[in-house]
Amino acid sequence: MVLSTAVFTIGVFGFLSRKNIIIIFMSIELMLNAVNINLISLSHYLQDLRGQILAFFVIAVAAAEAAIGLAIVIALFRNKATAHVDEIHEMKG
Amino acid sequence: MLPELFFVYFAFAIILLSILVVTRKNPVHSVLWMLLLFFHIASLYLFLNAEFMALIQMIVYAGGILVLFLFAILLVNIKEEIRITRFIGAWPTGLTFAIGIFIVIFVSIKSFVLGQQGTYTIDFIKKESHTKALGKLLYTDFLYPFEIASLILLVAIIGAIILAKRRIKS
Amino acid sequence: MPGTYLPSEYLPVLIFILVAIAFGIGALLIGTVFRLKKQYFEKLMPYESGITPKGEPRYRFSIRFYIIAMLFVIFDVEAIFIYPWAVVFDKIGMYAFIEMVIFIVILFIGYIYAWRKDAFQWD
Repeated sequence: MVLSTAVFTIGVFGFLSRKNIIIIFMSIELMLNAVNINLISLSHYLQDLRGQILAFFVIAVAAAEAAIGLAIVIALFRNKATAHVDEIHEMKG
Repeated sequence: MLPELFFVYFAFAIILLSILVVTRKNPVHSVLWMLLLFFHIASLYLFLNAEFMALIQMIVYAGGILVLFLFAILLVNIKEEIRITRFIGAWPTGLTFAIGIFIVIFVSIKSFVLGQQGTYTIDFIKKESHTKALGKLLYTDFLYPFEIASLILLVAIIGAIILAKRRIKS
Repeated sequence: MPGTYLPSEYLPVLIFILVAIAFGIGALLIGTVFRLKKQYFEKLMPYESGITPKGEPRYRFSIRFYIIAMLFVIFDVEAIFIYPWAVVFDKIGMYAFIEMVIFIVILFIGYIYAWRKDAFQWD
């Protein structure tokens, strides 16, 4: 669980501090993976498979989120020609 | 003794690799380190008696999502990416916040009490095979979440096509 | 608290990985020791089947690669939901079969949508 916390923390750090939006999405994947590690290890130590079912759905949602998020990044790149979060400061299309 | 040794190796490798992922300058290097990270996580799942989860970690993350990331990186121009600084100006705030979260979770883990033991012991899973036990549970108790997952995937298909196809039409 | 678990049936995989790493490092090392250390301009160029390379190696890819990869990921997840279903199909009977038909029909709607939007067209 300490391991999972550490990975989650690194994910939070990357999420809050990177400039490139693609790396930010990779940090989100990192956090979801930390959650998965935690769920599966607890599922092993509690001898109950429900945690792994939950991890299963987390993976499905992570795949959907990655597809949508990266599509948003690409649409953004078409409009703004940048992938850096500090250069994107308006919500107008 | 041996499982603990393996666990220590995997723990250090996973932490080191995830630090490498968020700090590399070139996003392609980040993706490659992340590939190695996913392999390590999958092997950790093997040691947690979850071989089907290890398998889908390999198939979905290492095989699917990382290819997606790689294509997204190749779609944006990475030539000027290598030259500029990689963090935003306010990165110490992010680091402070992350360390704060780490301390809070770490302190709260101390008071963690292991709950009631379930019925899926190691011997049971060994006898039944992990995929079989998982499938039996997934398709009896968790049918509605399963259907909702299909709806999420449908929404993902439609949304991503709408977002990504816009330019080709015009 | 159950004891830690050692997946002993995966020992061949571990040995395979170790041999693969050793082979990779060993081949590179032997190559470094025995090769000729003469370098000239043609040798230092990137190898493109004998043609002189021109232009940037890192050009931007077409967005169609991304759409194909995205559809692959979505249907990949669908496939991993089918695996445990296929393993336990003879145990759980008709109800789960109907549920799986609903699941596939919902994703088939997405497939038809992608088809109608020409996501599979290359140009």
